[in-house]
Amino acid sequence: MDAHIRKVYVPMTETGFYILLCLQEPNHGYGIVQRVKEITEGEIVLSPGTMYGSLSKMEKDGLIRFVREEEKRKIYRITDLGDVVLQLELKRIQRLYRNAKEMSQ
Amino acid sequence: MKECKREFRYFTIMDYEKEGDYLQERHRQGWKFRSVYLPGIYEFERATPEDVVYQLDYNQEGIQNKTEYVQMFEDCGWEYIQDFVGYSYFRKPAAQMESSEEIFCDDESRLDMMKRIFKGRMIPLVVVFFCIIIPQLIWNSSRQALDYPILITFMILFILYLMIFVCFTIKYMKFQGRVNKR
Repeated sequence: MDAHIRKVYVPMTETGFYILLCLQEPNHGYGIVQRVKEITEGEIVLSPGTMYGSLSKMEKDGLIRFVREEEKRKIYRITDLGDVVLQLELKRIQRLYRNAKEMSQ
Repeated sequence: MKECKREFRYFTIMDYEKEGDYLQERHRQGWKFRSVYLPGIYEFERATPEDVVYQLDYNQEGIQNKTEYVQMFEDCGWEYIQDFVGYSYFRKPAAQMESSEEIFCDDESRLDMMKRIFKGRMIPLVVVFFCIIIPQLIWNSSRQALDYPILITFMILFILYLMIFVCFTIKYMKFQGRVNKR
């Protein structure tokens, strides 16, 4: 993983995290918006400007790749590099959670 | 034929939020935004007063891939109105929002938009500033017979450009500070 990826994505934004998490299955931008709304019980509603910008940035950085187009919507999927970054982030969040739990007991 | 009106209002490159607020205000007063086709000239048509949120994006890649770009916004309930000098105009009625909604949901992506504006709009201005305005100013003020109208024009341009650069830098730095503080 090069320095640029590390600087931009470790740690990453909540938007970035949910995009990578959802793209373990092929999906398009709006599909991700709906999925995130569902799993956060409506708390996080990603906006189209943020989503469009993040997807094209992540595609350029090789974290996700374009799979095919369906009804004017681009479908993406996570790459191997994207998965490495996602696992790093998951580890970080798990550590956060573990520490928070221990310290507040 | 609907009643129409034109209004002149000037916004600088970084005033895209104020521009959105202005369009929202007009819609609230019963003037629905129709188009902008010259810098600062806005066309409205009579409509029922309504609270509609207007937002501008600056994404040249989006404009190049317009169908999927517009589709993404329309899926999220934002109506696409038009593009103008690289900015895309969107609107969504407040009644369709669960809470206050914007086309960006985090500061990182707002900062990314500023970076795109810098590349697309500020760099050309910087080039004009250093390659035309400054040389012209020096040349015109060192002539023996001073041509005041021309000299004053370049002085005004010099100040105007300088103000745009300062405004952009202040807004950008302020924002970047906020993002990095997280």
